[in-house]
Amino acid sequence: MKHESTDQTAWRCDKCQQELELTKVKVKYMEGNFEVDLPKCPSCHQVFIDEALALGKMKEVEEGLEDK
Amino acid sequence: MKRIISMTESLCPVCLKKINALIWSENNETWMEKSCPEHGRFKALLWRGSIPIEKWVRNKIPATIKKPNTVVEKGCPFDCGLCADHRQHTCTALIEVTQRCNLNCSFCFANANGNTEVDLDLETIRRMYQSAMDTSGNCNIQLSGGEPTLRDDLPEIIRIGHEIGFSFIQINTNGIRMGEDEAYVSALKNAGLNSVFLQFDGTNDEIYKKLRGKPLLATKIKAIKNCQRYNIGVVLVPTLVREVNDSDLGNIINFGLEWAPTVKGVHMQPASYFGRIPNLPDEQKRLTLGDLMDKIEDQTKMRIRKDSFSPPGCENARCSFHGNYTVSENGELIAQGSGAKCCGVETAEEGARKAKAHVLRKWSGAGPEPQDDGIKSTAVPAKDGWDEILEQINRHSFSLSAMAFQDVWNLDLNRVKDCCIHVVNPRGQLIPFCMYNLTDRNGHAIYRQQ
Repeated sequence: MKHESTDQTAWRCDKCQQELELTKVKVKYMEGNFEVDLPKCPSCHQVFIDEALALGKMKEVEEGLEDK
Repeated sequence: MKRIISMTESLCPVCLKKINALIWSENNETWMEKSCPEHGRFKALLWRGSIPIEKWVRNKIPATIKKPNTVVEKGCPFDCGLCADHRQHTCTALIEVTQRCNLNCSFCFANANGNTEVDLDLETIRRMYQSAMDTSGNCNIQLSGGEPTLRDDLPEIIRIGHEIGFSFIQINTNGIRMGEDEAYVSALKNAGLNSVFLQFDGTNDEIYKKLRGKPLLATKIKAIKNCQRYNIGVVLVPTLVREVNDSDLGNIINFGLEWAPTVKGVHMQPASYFGRIPNLPDEQKRLTLGDLMDKIEDQTKMRIRKDSFSPPGCENARCSFHGNYTVSENGELIAQGSGAKCCGVETAEEGARKAKAHVLRKWSGAGPEPQDDGIKSTAVPAKDGWDEILEQINRHSFSLSAMAFQDVWNLDLNRVKDCCIHVVNPRGQLIPFCMYNLTDRNGHAIYRQQ
């Protein structure tokens, strides 16, 4: 299912039946820690990465780090 | 005790006849020995250092040249064009746009000087570009010479390359005109120049006087400033000669880091003995890739560790090393990955794709510095954490690499077949770089000016 980033908070955790909340999540990239806002289940803390992010900026990061 | 590493084929340095060669190691050195029935035995140093040559491996499934320009008749390296026996696609195609030069360097693979040979006309250059595109697709282009900036129509040459469809165009220059003629730099940028491969042999003028015949450091700095002004990426390229500038490597790297992100990296070239050379090689003094990795670690006081370097995925492993780093806010260098050295088998084709993409991404201009004027614009989305990561990768990355060209003394034809740096000759044929420049002991070439 196509999911737009703007709908981030409208998702529900299937396991806990809790609505995901936009939360600051720590992302570790190489030696640097960055904080990004991602929808997260308040109960089990599972983070949801939507298609737009996975195919957008996350893909850009992956390509940027691609070695030769 | 000597260990046999492999058998290969090479050429006699006197008559250029193809002969067998033995590669062996002892302690931390690797040598090639070969014998010509007519001209005797020859021995050349291939590798020296704390990383043994046997560990410097990256196996690849060979690529197939889909549209060979020449037929296999005499066997490698006498059928270059590329021929059907070649095992790698073009990553970088070089076009020598002039044979004129405003320096007369002691080492010059092109043996260029103040000669008045007529430059190639634009139509010929267009055909050369087109042939590279037909054979190799959208590879990276390096415009070389001679000194390419002696041509006033270099912006037009860059424009033609982009028109034909090449995304990345770099010039290989001594930087003299780039430093002295800002309007020219502006015109190159407007034409779409992506990157400058800047001859940069060291951080003091004694080095330039020895290698280039005159002090040039101030000129190089002016060239970098002009590139900074116009957002053109710069790669510093030292030609390294033992006892001339091999002890300046750490300084060159630090200099490059001070000029990041305009300077995108340092690409080292240990001197090879082809074209114009000041003397025949003294093999004990030859610098190898293994030497360089040890020297970098030593001269940067472990700030750059040799285990951050990897063999290439595109050309033969023994032709180069590279490492990628992120420069943190406090100037620390963080290695991106820890160097892949033994990861099974990859395809040469994928290696060529990655190398092209990598050069385009890492060696192009960094773009203007993001302005933080304290005013929050409502039209531009606020930067999030992902943007920060991307900025680190794209603006604050720095690369270190080295390529060891082969000359007639240390030539291993196995490596030639894996070559991805190809010179386009005026007939539109693509010749592996080392073969195009290779000369015998008396200076006779196989391909150049043939």
